[in-house]
Amino acid sequence: MAEFSWLSRSPLEHALVVGAHGARDVASGISLTEVRNFNLIQIMARRGKGAELASAATARFGVAAPAVPKAVSASDVTLIWSGPDQFLVLSKSGKHAMDILSHAFSQSASLSDQSHARALISVAGAKARTMLAKLSSIDLHPTAFPIGAAAATSIDHTSVNFWRGNDRPDGQPVFNVLVLASFAESLWRTMLDAAAEYGVDIGLSEELG
Amino acid sequence: MRIVCPFCGERELGEFTYLGDAKPARPAAGASEDDVFDYVYLRDNIAGAMSEHWYHAGGCRAWLKVTRNTLTHEISSVEPAAGVGAAKVGA
Ligand SMILES: [Zn+2]
Repeated sequence: MAEFSWLSRSPLEHALVVGAHGARDVASGISLTEVRNFNLIQIMARRGKGAELASAATARFGVAAPAVPKAVSASDVTLIWSGPDQFLVLSKSGKHAMDILSHAFSQSASLSDQSHARALISVAGAKARTMLAKLSSIDLHPTAFPIGAAAATSIDHTSVNFWRGNDRPDGQPVFNVLVLASFAESLWRTMLDAAAEYGVDIGLSEELG
Repeated sequence: MRIVCPFCGERELGEFTYLGDAKPARPAAGASEDDVFDYVYLRDNIAGAMSEHWYHAGGCRAWLKVTRNTLTHEISSVEPAAGVGAAKVGA
């Protein structure tokens, strides 16, 4: 029998080049950062087990899982709404991993490990909203899409889980995008093109912030 | 055209996929061949308010039952299709 050695790699490994991109005669208006090495588990309630899942989630994470399009954070985890009776559990690598969570939710939900199936891209900066408006039909005005707002939507015809994180220390907004691995490079290049005129600072984080 | 998804809110048409008439109901086991043929193949071509299934493929991936006027595209109601939100069924 063949022996396999599995090595997980970022789908943006080749496309991402850390440094400045696009317009140089302006102060960088956008930071595009890929975040690597996270655990991402999809949790979906089983038939008739919605209430049971809700209480199991509160017991496990210390916060209630979102029942509407929002992202809620506790000290070591972010729970992101992804549809009726389902949410994503995002944490640092090894924190809320599949083998741990599958025990906690074995009675109420079906789980699917998406840790290496998605790329996580963070779009931040003074021009982030303007740039995303080119690609998304979601209303990102601060009153319509405040911190913690989330959406399962499409950006440039690509399905994403999208939410607004806490503002950066300099007060600029942060938008997070989880995209399927096989679409990540295409979306990344689209984002680079949309952001180029504002001056882009491309970064890489080896750990969830 | 925009559809107000009961889970996601108002979204552009591009996020949705059209299935078709939401009216046909699966005949009971032992139904006549004519009834099954009707269910599988025959559809009304309605000019006016029609009940349709739409899929929010580019969003929450829920099936929706939409009442749409095929002449004006005016949408009078959107609700989750049967079985959506599995946790609620039988809860
Ligand atoms: Zn939806």
